[in-house]
Amino acid sequence: MWPTRCFAVLTLMLVSLVLSTFVNANESILDRAPERTYDIVIESGFLNVGVYRDFPPYSYEKDGEPFGVDVDIGKKIAEGLGVEFRVHWITPDETLEDDLRNNVWKGHYLAKRRIADVMMRVPYDKKYAYMRDSTGEVINEQVVMFGPYQQEQWQIAYDSDAVDSVGTVAVFQYHPIGVEIDTLPATYLTSAFGGRLRDKTHHFSNIGQAFQAMAEREVSAVMGMRAEIDYELGVHPNRGFAVADNGFPGMGKQVWDVGMAVKNTHRQLGYAIEEIVDRMVREGEMAEIFERHGLRYSMPAFYEEVLVTSDGEA
Amino acid sequence: MRSNPIGRQFAVSTIALAVSFGAHAVTDEDILNDHNTADDVVSYGMGVQGQRFSTLDILNTDNVKSLQPVWAFSFGGEKMRGQESQPLIKDGVMYVTASYSRAYAIDAKTGEEVWQYEARLPDGIMPCCDVINRGGALYEDLFIFATLDAKLVALNKDTGKVVWIKEVADYQEGYSITAAPIIVKGKLITGVSGGEFGIVGKIEAYDPTSGDKLWTRPTVEGHMGYVYQDGEAIENGISGGEAGKTWPGDMWKTGGAATWLGGTYDPETDTLFFGTGNPAPWNSHLRPGDNLFSSSRLAIDPDDGSIKWHFQTTPNDGWDYDGVNELISFDYEENGEVIKAAATADRNGFFYVLDRTNGSFIRGFPFVDEISWAEGLDENGRPIYTDDGRPGNPADVDSEKGEPVVAQPAFLGGKNWMPMAYNQDTELFYVPSNEWAMDIWNEPVSYKKGAAYLGAGFTIKPANDEYIGVLRAIDPKTGEEVWRYENRAPLWGGVMTTSGNLVFTGTPEGYLKAFDATTGEELYRFNTGSGVVGTPITWSMDGEQYVSITSGWGGAVPLWGGEVAKVVKNFNQGGMLWTFKLPKEAASQDVASR
Repeated sequence: MWPTRCFAVLTLMLVSLVLSTFVNANESILDRAPERTYDIVIESGFLNVGVYRDFPPYSYEKDGEPFGVDVDIGKKIAEGLGVEFRVHWITPDETLEDDLRNNVWKGHYLAKRRIADVMMRVPYDKKYAYMRDSTGEVINEQVVMFGPYQQEQWQIAYDSDAVDSVGTVAVFQYHPIGVEIDTLPATYLTSAFGGRLRDKTHHFSNIGQAFQAMAEREVSAVMGMRAEIDYELGVHPNRGFAVADNGFPGMGKQVWDVGMAVKNTHRQLGYAIEEIVDRMVREGEMAEIFERHGLRYSMPAFYEEVLVTSDGEA
Repeated sequence: MRSNPIGRQFAVSTIALAVSFGAHAVTDEDILNDHNTADDVVSYGMGVQGQRFSTLDILNTDNVKSLQPVWAFSFGGEKMRGQESQPLIKDGVMYVTASYSRAYAIDAKTGEEVWQYEARLPDGIMPCCDVINRGGALYEDLFIFATLDAKLVALNKDTGKVVWIKEVADYQEGYSITAAPIIVKGKLITGVSGGEFGIVGKIEAYDPTSGDKLWTRPTVEGHMGYVYQDGEAIENGISGGEAGKTWPGDMWKTGGAATWLGGTYDPETDTLFFGTGNPAPWNSHLRPGDNLFSSSRLAIDPDDGSIKWHFQTTPNDGWDYDGVNELISFDYEENGEVIKAAATADRNGFFYVLDRTNGSFIRGFPFVDEISWAEGLDENGRPIYTDDGRPGNPADVDSEKGEPVVAQPAFLGGKNWMPMAYNQDTELFYVPSNEWAMDIWNEPVSYKKGAAYLGAGFTIKPANDEYIGVLRAIDPKTGEEVWRYENRAPLWGGVMTTSGNLVFTGTPEGYLKAFDATTGEELYRFNTGSGVVGTPITWSMDGEQYVSITSGWGGAVPLWGGEVAKVVKNFNQGGMLWTFKLPKEAASQDVASR
């Protein structure tokens, strides 16, 4: 029985090796996105982890190496799967739908074979996942969004030399505030309260530049994502920059969960990754990664419900 | 670039050197006279005014049915996608660009390749709308074109060797170039493309022989223009005088208005005409004001880049109706008086006739069947907005999906980039147009780069079941549609017209077609094997009239889904250049039968 089984396994390995080589060769000729299922990922020995380019503190380059919380989580996932971590940099397009299409399921038409096996920092929102267009088609049916690992929210930091405190956003009728162009803070500050904050809203290509402008006293505050703000406060220490605890009246989405995405035909890979990430969230490893980068961490709302229920307190 | 054997290369470049100072160099005069010289095409637009009108009449309504392909040339490689280029022709050599920033010189008699150049494109470029290129410029011994990573490349036109490469803008900031540059008074003039990443449009002049920058003119109010002398930038006035007149806050700093379709030139008034794209951000409610000079036509002094006048077609654009479409100079007589006019068919569905000496509005009228967003134009040509015609402000919606607003034309426009043509004999414009609408609604749940966002969803849909594309003959004096030709798929290729009373254009179904310029009757069709989104040219060689067009389906249309996708989804990609002529027998028979 032993030899037979051994032979069978060997044959299977050989066949699958030949098969996968053949498939890979064929796909590069066909110039289409590779079908890297769970088995192929494990066999190939590496995992392409999609993270946004130049996006501190989530994912960026430091001394020529990938760095940031999403990179660290990606490395942990690869480790958990027993494969090598490989970074797949994502140049953001106009919306998340575009990024999912270009990087997860179809590939960008300039480089169709360049695909992430898993994409990080994909908001986890059932409403978004099942959203339909005006003809009734599910817009994001080609991907599975899963594994929430962090809750993100909006945050204002201000220069305490220029502004005493930020009780409400009304102070930005009088004090200039910096935002990243074409983001929800940009839309909020230029449209809320009949546009009364519009003239004091300054636009920058990223939060780093907005902080630079605050350092140069061009603006008195910056609004961005909490982790970005926490990171920039670390870049500009001892400047009297402080975090505000104001609310954002009339603003639609103030808090949201962030997870991951894989192609909808690669659910098995998704399940394996979800298991690793779920353990990291529950056992506090996720919080440690954020702490190590000097960032506050909030567990996804998804877990509030789950954990409460499992404790039997609900 | 493909390399030739050294011996042959040497021989070719020696000849090139010899001829570049002789008859074969392209001069300013050649370019200014391009519309009158039938044996060459040395400018984008078949003449600097961009009329795309040829005085040739060897080919005419009687004999066009005998038009035959003489050769076809493959762009090769695995890089297909949209072929939107207009070829140039000089001394029996054709110069054409192709997708992915490639350029070719081809023997116009045989279709054999002379040289080929492939730009090395960086990873990480994100062009918005396919990897197309619309053509190049010839000057002296150079062929010059622009690349997807926003560089100008000057090649020796006889050898294809690089003479200089200059960066016009940083592709990492979202800039790109797809339009053909033009040569005016010894200067190379170009615009820039760019997405919604907070770019600012500009028009720039370069020294074509060295690639040195001569002047720059930003197309958004508040930005300083410069002229360059001995490498030094000298201030030449802020566009629009000062910042903040038609923009709130600091939005002018990232105002958009990309000059992505290039321009035309009118020698009589010594003026460049460039169109500008939509303003940023896309949500018009965030930027109350006209947002100059977005969605406008600008008249520019070619000597230093100063703005002479502007005409804005869609103030506070909220529909993505870029104002980039070409402004074509033409003269017409009215009450015994010659009117120096210029015309443009805008994305927004209106056709405008302007006084090209000062930009004043002469008349305007819809050239599409229906316009939903405006009731008409006032006496100054400014749109009279329809109530509720503007897409809503996503910031006003809390949790529910907003009611869709139907906008017609769709954002791809009543007419998009594809150039129209003006026939001096029929005095009509031939406009490649499309009948489509879009639903736009506020998307309460939307994300961007890991963050919550307020977006708008939209779908584009045909206005009729039977057709989207309409080739129209438009009388600029009356606004009358003299004839129309309906096409099932959207038209996305340019138009050319001749003294042979013919109009040529291509269709996404793959056909090169010829029409009777007076009646609109279809007289000729030939299937090129892939969708035609290029612009035809015609010229004469050894007493025979030729027609050339690129074939290769692509461009912006197939990138959008919805109902329109169903019409075009079966069109195959390609990458060919087709050349046709009238066989001698057919031409002589024709003369005999007259």
